[in-house]
Amino acid sequence: MGVARASHSGARFLDPAVLARISNLELLARTVVDGFLNGLHRSPYLGFSLEFAEHRQYMPGDDIRRIDWKLFGRSDRHYIKLFEADTNANFSVLLDVSASMSYGSHEVSKLDYARYLTACLTFFSNRQRDRVGLVTFDHDIVEYVPPSMKHMDTILHLLHRASAGRAGSLREPLVKITELLGRKGIVVIISDFYEHPDEILSSISLLRGRGHDVIVFHVLDPAELSFPFEDSSSFEDLETREQIPVIPNRLRDDYKRLVSEHVESVEHRLTENRIDYVLLDTSKPLDLALFQYLLARERWTRKR
Amino acid sequence: MSLAFLVPLFLLGLAGITVPILVHLTRRQRKNVVTFPSLMFLERIPFQEQRRRRIQHWLLLALRSLALALLALAFARPFFDRSALSLGAAAGPREVVVLLDQSYSMEIGNQFTRALNEAREIFDGLGPLDRASLVVFGQGARVVTRSTGDRLRLNSALDTLEVSSSGTRFGPALKVAQTVLEESELPMGDVYLLSDFQRIGWTGDEGVYLPAGAKVIPITFFEDPPDNIQVTDVDLIRHAVSGRERITPIARIARNGGVDAREVNVSLELDGQEIQTRTITLDPDGAASVTFQPFTLSQPHTRGTIRVPADELTADDVRNFVVSPGTALSLLVIDGSGGSTDASLYLRRALEISDDGRFRLIHRRTNNVRAEDLDGTDAVIINDARIDGGSAERLRNFVQAGGGLFLVLGENSGWPASAQDLLPGTAGEPRDRLQGRGGRLGHLEYGHPVFEPFSGPRSGDFTGARFFRARSFVLSDSAIVLARFDDGSVAFAERGYGLGTVLVWTSTLDSFWNDLALQPVYLPFVHRVSEYIGGRTEALAWFTIGQVLNLADPGALESAGLVSTESAELSDSTDLVALTPSGRSIEFPSDDEPKYLALDESGFYTVRPPASEPERPFVIAVNVELEESNLTTIDPEELIAQVMSPAPDRETASGLVQTTELQMEDQERRQALWRWMLITAFGLLAAETFMSNWVSRRAVGATLTAT
Repeated sequence: MGVARASHSGARFLDPAVLARISNLELLARTVVDGFLNGLHRSPYLGFSLEFAEHRQYMPGDDIRRIDWKLFGRSDRHYIKLFEADTNANFSVLLDVSASMSYGSHEVSKLDYARYLTACLTFFSNRQRDRVGLVTFDHDIVEYVPPSMKHMDTILHLLHRASAGRAGSLREPLVKITELLGRKGIVVIISDFYEHPDEILSSISLLRGRGHDVIVFHVLDPAELSFPFEDSSSFEDLETREQIPVIPNRLRDDYKRLVSEHVESVEHRLTENRIDYVLLDTSKPLDLALFQYLLARERWTRKR
Repeated sequence: MSLAFLVPLFLLGLAGITVPILVHLTRRQRKNVVTFPSLMFLERIPFQEQRRRRIQHWLLLALRSLALALLALAFARPFFDRSALSLGAAAGPREVVVLLDQSYSMEIGNQFTRALNEAREIFDGLGPLDRASLVVFGQGARVVTRSTGDRLRLNSALDTLEVSSSGTRFGPALKVAQTVLEESELPMGDVYLLSDFQRIGWTGDEGVYLPAGAKVIPITFFEDPPDNIQVTDVDLIRHAVSGRERITPIARIARNGGVDAREVNVSLELDGQEIQTRTITLDPDGAASVTFQPFTLSQPHTRGTIRVPADELTADDVRNFVVSPGTALSLLVIDGSGGSTDASLYLRRALEISDDGRFRLIHRRTNNVRAEDLDGTDAVIINDARIDGGSAERLRNFVQAGGGLFLVLGENSGWPASAQDLLPGTAGEPRDRLQGRGGRLGHLEYGHPVFEPFSGPRSGDFTGARFFRARSFVLSDSAIVLARFDDGSVAFAERGYGLGTVLVWTSTLDSFWNDLALQPVYLPFVHRVSEYIGGRTEALAWFTIGQVLNLADPGALESAGLVSTESAELSDSTDLVALTPSGRSIEFPSDDEPKYLALDESGFYTVRPPASEPERPFVIAVNVELEESNLTTIDPEELIAQVMSPAPDRETASGLVQTTELQMEDQERRQALWRWMLITAFGLLAAETFMSNWVSRRAVGATLTAT
């Protein structure tokens, strides 16, 4: 994975700092996806492509509507085209736009990173003929775009406008989203998950219980992971505006330990419930997220 | 006591305290507040350490602010205005001078005790920064306690005071107050004058002016004048009876006040024993003389007292005196052998007229003075005689040894040129003043002891004597003219020679050349001249309070009643002890020259060599000043108006303001709080530096340990 990212010239387009200079999200997504896919072309993990179309010999029980009659005319054998059915999945991104997502210790905030990721995944899925949808939420649903082949532009527009402001929570918006997403599909949840792991699990389990394939992207700023602060300061919560005095040197170890435990706990609980979990550092390129997504997608496709 | 500032403008610097606070606050807002996505994890970490650290920061802030505040305060030059404690902010501490009348008139009606109580109240009312002086005064003033704030000391000083025998004089006391106030640095001056305000204590020309700003507060102790009887004077009339001297005391008694005539017993005491008592009747404001029976005076230094019954004013109820048997002057009168046999008739008759036999005359008609004639002789009167050279030399030696020579020039007078320097000049030929009524004495030196008794009015008239002839006389350089005729020529001249005195009378003492011998002044004149050249000094029967006697001066002792030999003996004594009437012993060591004895107590002083018990010791009688018995009062306001300086004009007022400012500067300079504030500020800054370094080191150390 690292070899693929490092050895390809297109990898530079995956750098979040570079992407931040591209204001057009469609151009950004296209650039990222194309570059990423070009890179994957030489990857040993190659084996799945949007352009690839597989013909399988007809087996009793297959839908006769999927028989490729043109091929039958040439070969007098029954083959069915399998790819068409994969492109019709519902792909929904649940994007956390709570105030905590506005944090960024460098050029790219967590929300920016999440927007880029959403744009890329949506663009990627749309290319694959998936119906793409978007839900932004904080402690409630902020925007809802139902999955559709035609909603790509709408999604990109909403992503462009999305901004963080209010306090967030998972439970209530996910309960509502579960009701809104009636048809099974792929659900991508992008959030910083400042909730207790059990609360996170119970909230996401609702979607999983409805049969959605869920992949969770846990977006954290590098400062949230390493706690690099030096000066004694009052730390202010972006959502509650509460302040507490902090000596970073004194708290750093404890903080990192707690964050690490939290991440492990969330990952452990989600994985146990067959929910894909990916921890993203906003200073890192987007390829990790995309690659993880493709792996998951492949797994789900095979499963299906 | 309030905190004041000499330069309050510097207090604006206190605004500088806000700088670190503002910086602190702004730093907190801009830099020290870090937004963070969630405090979920941070809140789980115990942060006691943070709170302590935060307090330490506030401590540092407080240190810095306090240091800045102290710097600003130090530059404002603060001081505790202690003047506000005593008289409020407008008035400063006071320099209080209590003038306490100690004269003997204050004993009337417990005035002195009341004055002491008043003085205690004044001292008890002093402010903490006030200073007070205690001055007692009679005829003079004495500073008992000078400018102190120690009330205990002041009250203790009051406990030692008693009524004195002195009279009242306000001048010295107010002069002392003036000096104390002028030397004081305090802005306010209060002079408390505690007295019965007798008019005799103030003449108005004392020339005392208290400094501007001083205030005189009179505290009067008026009493109704009591029925006061006093012994005003005593005459001691001497008589020589059968070779023994007798004294007839005549006392004069006066009564002030009273309503009805009353009988008064007047007693005479000798050497402490009451000898006689006379009863007289005194009308209100009346006076009487009491003549006692004469007593024989056989012992020297006999103490006598005239006493009337004690009344409210006891000091003037007694009159003390000391008398000793007198000694006769031995006079040698020499008439010229060639002259009239009656040349010295008037002179001899005059000298023989004496109740107390004070002159012992030896009369000779000769031109030759023998050495044996001069033995035991106090003075020689040469009346119109022609003295030869040998006699003149013997007289020279006689005068040089202390003898007296009275040379009366007449028709036959002559004096050898070899002894001319013995005389006060050179006698010439007789000059006649035959025109009109003759010559008269135009000028007399009344300050001289010879003429001093005649200085007062109606005390003898020399101008009635007519002089028809007198010898011209050319004065030498060392001569003193005692009398001149109306034409300016010398009538009477003197010259001191060795220890003796030489007098020259340029006319005769009989009736040939003038008629002085027929004038009433003739007898006292020749008596005075004889006593003068004989060296007799009239002994004083008593002294008055306030006088000073020099015990090392034989003349002074002689005037005090000691005969010449005794006085010389006593004055030559190496050590002397004087015992005051109250029993206090005053020692005069041999090296203490002169030996002044201040006579400030009424009664008898005894003077003797130490460790000796003479049978009849030398005694000095001292009486109070009778003026003090005059209880007429003066209006205190009249007195105050004369001692107060004119109202301060504008310049003076500005001077007062300057004085107050100076006084404030003085307070600030003395307290020098700014130094302590600067030291404290630097100390705080040092502590702040140390503490901040310590905090930083500790934080770095903790970080290193953590990493």
